[in-house]
Amino acid sequence: MTRVRVTAPRSVKADSTTPGSAVLPAVRSAADSRDAAEESDAGQVFVRSLIRSQLRLAVVVAVGFLLILVAFPLMLGLVPGLAESTIVGLPFDWVLLGAGIYPVIGLSAWLYIRTAARNEARYRDLVGDK
Amino acid sequence: MNPVVGIAAFAAVSLATAVIGFYGLRISRTTGDFYVASRTVRPWWNASAIGGEYLSAASFLGVAGLILLSGTDALWFPVGYTAGYLMLLLFVAAPLRRSGAYTIPDFTEARLDSRVVRSVTSIIVVMVGWLYIVPQLHGAALAIRITTGLPAWVGMVAVVAVVCVTVVAGGMRSITFVQAFQYWLKLTALAVPILFIVLVLSDSGTPAVAESSVNPTGAAPAGLYQNISLLVALLFGTLGLPHVLVRFYTNPDGQSARRTTLIVLGLLSVFYLFPTAYGLIGRMFAPGLAQSGQADALVLLLPGELVGGMAGDLLSALVVAGAFAAFLSTTSGLVVSLAGVISQDLFGGSVKGFRRAAVISAVVPLGIASMTGSLALAGSVGMVFAFTASTLCPVLLLGIWWRGLTDAGAIAGMATGAVLCGGAMAAGAVLGAGESPPWLAQPAAWTVPAAFAVMVLVSRATRTRVPRTITRLMTRLHTPERPLVTER
Repeated sequence: MTRVRVTAPRSVKADSTTPGSAVLPAVRSAADSRDAAEESDAGQVFVRSLIRSQLRLAVVVAVGFLLILVAFPLMLGLVPGLAESTIVGLPFDWVLLGAGIYPVIGLSAWLYIRTAARNEARYRDLVGDK
Repeated sequence: MNPVVGIAAFAAVSLATAVIGFYGLRISRTTGDFYVASRTVRPWWNASAIGGEYLSAASFLGVAGLILLSGTDALWFPVGYTAGYLMLLLFVAAPLRRSGAYTIPDFTEARLDSRVVRSVTSIIVVMVGWLYIVPQLHGAALAIRITTGLPAWVGMVAVVAVVCVTVVAGGMRSITFVQAFQYWLKLTALAVPILFIVLVLSDSGTPAVAESSVNPTGAAPAGLYQNISLLVALLFGTLGLPHVLVRFYTNPDGQSARRTTLIVLGLLSVFYLFPTAYGLIGRMFAPGLAQSGQADALVLLLPGELVGGMAGDLLSALVVAGAFAAFLSTTSGLVVSLAGVISQDLFGGSVKGFRRAAVISAVVPLGIASMTGSLALAGSVGMVFAFTASTLCPVLLLGIWWRGLTDAGAIAGMATGAVLCGGAMAAGAVLGAGESPPWLAQPAAWTVPAAFAVMVLVSRATRTRVPRTITRLMTRLHTPERPLVTER
């Protein structure tokens, strides 16, 4: 299998760090060995499992968020009097739909980013990157 | 409203845009600078710029206008606009950054190893961009007419002229600074007047109409189907918007693309509280504005209506400035990304070609906008979201997560989505806004699944065409960058 793969964006990034070019050769060879590792059959097992866990994570967060999103109007419709009640002088349904959803979005995003980074760290450990 | 206020506000925003654009010009020298700000933009800058670019006429004027008209039903618009970014973060942000593609056509060409797919994607991206610029220009026309009394075309021409000058002069680098500035300007322009309005209202004890009793237009509330279809369009439309995706390339790596998106979500959440507040206050204290058929101008008129006097004029000037910042920033973001696509496909990607393409990208929608009338701004932008959700969203999602996608499948799926959704839009336009049935007015709930289904089925049928580079590509999309890159 060929190992010539310094693709355009990466080479640009490598160039942009030339001030530290003294360390480049060592890093390059490490990168080459990771290329080889990733393209071997065993390496592909790790890659596929990383992709699967990232996809599962994204789907779980998306579905969880959508369920909460659907629950908000359902709650307003099903609990009698809730939509008509007020909170600090503002109608409750407006507060819930107009402001209450945003923290849920932020929290979902934060949870996702943390877990996605953890999945990637585990992958790095497996393929032997520092 | 005092016409001097509107003209002064527009002149001030244009001048500030040009000055910041010029400041950026001095650091933008190479072709790389021109296209993507050399990928050296800090996350906070980048997030502010994304926010500035994304918050268009529909967000600044349209959301409040629709809330004034249809109440809590319209709250799904700001929620959907924001949640669309969550979907972008979950499914697209990091892999797209790691693909190294600068535009969506770059991505589909690399992923499917096909020039034809590239051309089809380019055509759709240009259509989306033009469709999206048109409501911005309608917003500018409305704002200039309401605030200065000048003919509507003056607003459109002014916006196109300022955008052409800034983009041609500075490219992406200066655009980044301009956009970041414009996010904060838009936020201030909504936040300060609403504070004064609330103070005045609580001081004077103006009697409020009970919100739930207001129905200014007498329209029936939207049905369940329409709300679901709208949410599908907004959730899945965002991740195909060309001017949004270009921004991700300015992040140094995938993980920072995710962090940027998180900041963007925060910025959008804060911003959308304000149009919601304008809409609610409009319903409670100035429901008469809806009857004049100018609901989209609610944000512009409310400070003058409720505060009045000299203070009212100053606050109006601020809101008008924010509105023009919204037209300018979204239009220039779209023009930059369209110019990137057009110049790479037609002019070989040179700086001169980029400039020529930028002018083309801005002038064509000007022609369309001057020939069409304005519907509700948030509504017409919602239709663009439905169109991207039915065309670019399936090709991105399947391209990133499914190895089985083929060039034939991608083309068939995009064509299906474009024909179905474009057809529904055209039929809706012919029938008129009030007459078209819900499934034509909000087509996303059936056009998006149809596009996905066709894409998957045709790919299955042509599975020998899966590109041989697939293993390498999927590895690159989903594995973290080398330590050399991430340590910075």
